[in-house]
Amino acid sequence: MILDQLLAGFGAALDPINMLFMAAGVALGIVVGILPGLGSVTALSILIPVTFYMSPLVAIAFLVGVNKGGTSGGAVPAILLDAPGTPEAAATALDGHPLCKAGMPVKAMKAALYSSVFGDTLSDILLILVAAPFAAFALQFGPAEFTAIVLFSFTLIAGLSGRSLAKGIIAAGLGVFLSTIGLDPVESTPRMTFDVVELYDGISLNALAIGVLALSSVIQQLFEMHRGGASARQSISPDYDPAKNRLTAREFWSNWRTLLRSAAIGSGIGMLPGLGVSLAAFLGYGSAKRASKTPEKFGTGHLEGIMATEAANSAVVGANLVPTIALGIPGNIAAALMIGAFMVHGVVPGPFMMESHGELIYSIFASMLIADGIHLVIGRLGIRIWGHITRVPRTVILPVVVVLCVVGVYVPTQSMFDVGVMLVFGGLGYLMRRTGFSIVCLVIGFLLGPMFETSLRQTMLMYKSDLSVLVSSPIALVFVLLTLYSLWRFARRR
Amino acid sequence: MLDRIRASVRRAGGRSAAAATLLAAALLPGFQGAAVAAYPEKPVTLVVPYKAGGSTETMARVYAKALQEQLGQPVIVSTRPGGGGAVGATVVAKAAPDGYTMLFAAASALVWPPMTQKVEYGPDSFRWVASITEYQQALITTPDKPYKTYPELIAYAKAHPGMNFADQNALSRSFIKYIGKKEGVTWTAIPTKGGGEMVPFLLGGKVDIAWSGGVHQKFGDKMHVLASFNPKRLGQSPDAPSLKEIYGIAMPSYAVIVVPKDTPDDVVATLEKALKEASKDKAFDDMVTNKLKFPNQFIGSEELKPLVADMVTGLKTVLEETRN
Repeated sequence: MILDQLLAGFGAALDPINMLFMAAGVALGIVVGILPGLGSVTALSILIPVTFYMSPLVAIAFLVGVNKGGTSGGAVPAILLDAPGTPEAAATALDGHPLCKAGMPVKAMKAALYSSVFGDTLSDILLILVAAPFAAFALQFGPAEFTAIVLFSFTLIAGLSGRSLAKGIIAAGLGVFLSTIGLDPVESTPRMTFDVVELYDGISLNALAIGVLALSSVIQQLFEMHRGGASARQSISPDYDPAKNRLTAREFWSNWRTLLRSAAIGSGIGMLPGLGVSLAAFLGYGSAKRASKTPEKFGTGHLEGIMATEAANSAVVGANLVPTIALGIPGNIAAALMIGAFMVHGVVPGPFMMESHGELIYSIFASMLIADGIHLVIGRLGIRIWGHITRVPRTVILPVVVVLCVVGVYVPTQSMFDVGVMLVFGGLGYLMRRTGFSIVCLVIGFLLGPMFETSLRQTMLMYKSDLSVLVSSPIALVFVLLTLYSLWRFARRR
Repeated sequence: MLDRIRASVRRAGGRSAAAATLLAAALLPGFQGAAVAAYPEKPVTLVVPYKAGGSTETMARVYAKALQEQLGQPVIVSTRPGGGGAVGATVVAKAAPDGYTMLFAAASALVWPPMTQKVEYGPDSFRWVASITEYQQALITTPDKPYKTYPELIAYAKAHPGMNFADQNALSRSFIKYIGKKEGVTWTAIPTKGGGEMVPFLLGGKVDIAWSGGVHQKFGDKMHVLASFNPKRLGQSPDAPSLKEIYGIAMPSYAVIVVPKDTPDDVVATLEKALKEASKDKAFDDMVTNKLKFPNQFIGSEELKPLVADMVTGLKTVLEETRN
């Protein structure tokens, strides 16, 4: 049944024009994703108006390509410059940039691309198979279940805090504190907004992330160059050696467990509305490190770290269309933009989408699978080009990155206030790098803080302050037990 | 010496100023006429104070395309999200009053934040040029519940205190609290971040009833309308009463286009005409009527005035009643 419809879908999707636009979408997505500070969300919002002049299938296939390319392209600046533009690639930088410094940037980029395509493809297959039945399951997740998931996610801090757990916790605490700025989610009371209307929705995650992750890294490299003098003309990867940059199939597939685990985590997170790509990436990285026999290698240029992150963040791309198609609600911001695009092209996402537009949906499914293949080819060709960037002197690249950071913050909301916020966090990020506080923990705290507050307060209201629901709901119980287990394991290891 | 220089400068300045005045006097009538006829002579920006991907932004994109044909200049949609519309509204309130910056937003975003928060604008900071549609705001539930109509809900809620309802912002929360107060019903507000969170909560049975800004219309018979928050009954659910019929208050429901308050009359008139013609565009009509299932109804600036005044008094009543 599904196979028949899918084959019919392939018939429509294999149209040369459709293929051409998908390829263009993937290529544009990768290019925008590579620019530090810009990600797939920016790429989508810029390119949606372009699709007004296309047929529905071509338009959606094009945007699917953009989304895929944008998510995987983010790994490139993370690896080459230690300047991830979005939190979803932050964990990629942890192992990717050390590899680049050691002369293996191309190997790191290959690992990132292949893992992305792997995670993405698996998630697309899952979408095609379970879109309809999963909708019912997703409805089981309410505030109590989300509270438990977020609680469990907080244990990530232990694995990502670097050398000092105390500093990691302080950084995460600061992140949570910063996330409380803005209107209170229940009573709408302003908190620490100083009557600045731009702060009513809180500090923008985009501005904070680009500031602490990308700009602060550039500042640090500029200071290093200033001090080093001679290193000014140094390229990004001085010890580059083509022989060291081969990635054998064996080397790649030896991490199949990590790939599968991350793809499963990414797909799971993607199917639940509201959790987001970044959390999937951190969970993928954190759980790979936790499961590893050699966790101390993570963060020093370990290929598995890149693969764990990239497989997880790309696996969200397909799966976040599950709630979109089955329930008509967006899985994340990218999916929300896709809903807008569907509407413009005459398709109303929702429970009746499959019935009324089944043919189109299966053509889109087929296009997604084809786009995965295209993604692999174009991404691989791209690495040849990005490989040349490694020879450009830092003095040329770093100023460009600063400009791109400003553009990346300004474009989505057109707000100079956010650019200012980004600059402040660039400075804070630099101080944290100098003093050994984990920036990743700050970002995780900032991401999880509002999710935890909202879910917990919703739970308290819904169950009249009776928190026993956290153990009486089977899904919540699983995550509460997982939290206890990882705390116990962590305590024992010390 | 210095005095002499000053004097000569003044004389020279005076002379050239006089010349300029003469020149302007000769040219001004013609010049002014040209300026009016020329509006718009450069691209026009349509600010949407919400995130991309929502129904307002989607509508704005299609509408901007139609408006572009009418004005003969590009219409650029610019999203300035934040503060439930307050950020974008502030931007437009402070923009140059020349007709090149307009705001497309829910009327409530212009009326409610000034009453409850410190913002630098009020309903009077704008010229309300037109409303092009109405959000379909409803009190909804799922069909498996024992109450099928609004009176049945109230009776049920009185017998079962502590029901949960999902709101999406401070305004919808105040309204549901207001009803509770009027009817002597106690229920708990569960805040949700928009329709994307409300829908799974309602369908998953986590809440009993919910406020919807129109998203329920995508769900057909999976969701059931109990009452309308709009001044009138909803086109898709004519059997459900509007709160205005029962309590005499309604939520602002209009999607409006406004410009800064000092915009010249002739510019507003040109704009209003273009907006009206653009609302007849086929693609826009299809999007609004068939996809969003909103009414395609144009309300001009004159007709809008009493409606705005109504909104302000209605919201004041709700605010006073629910504050204490």
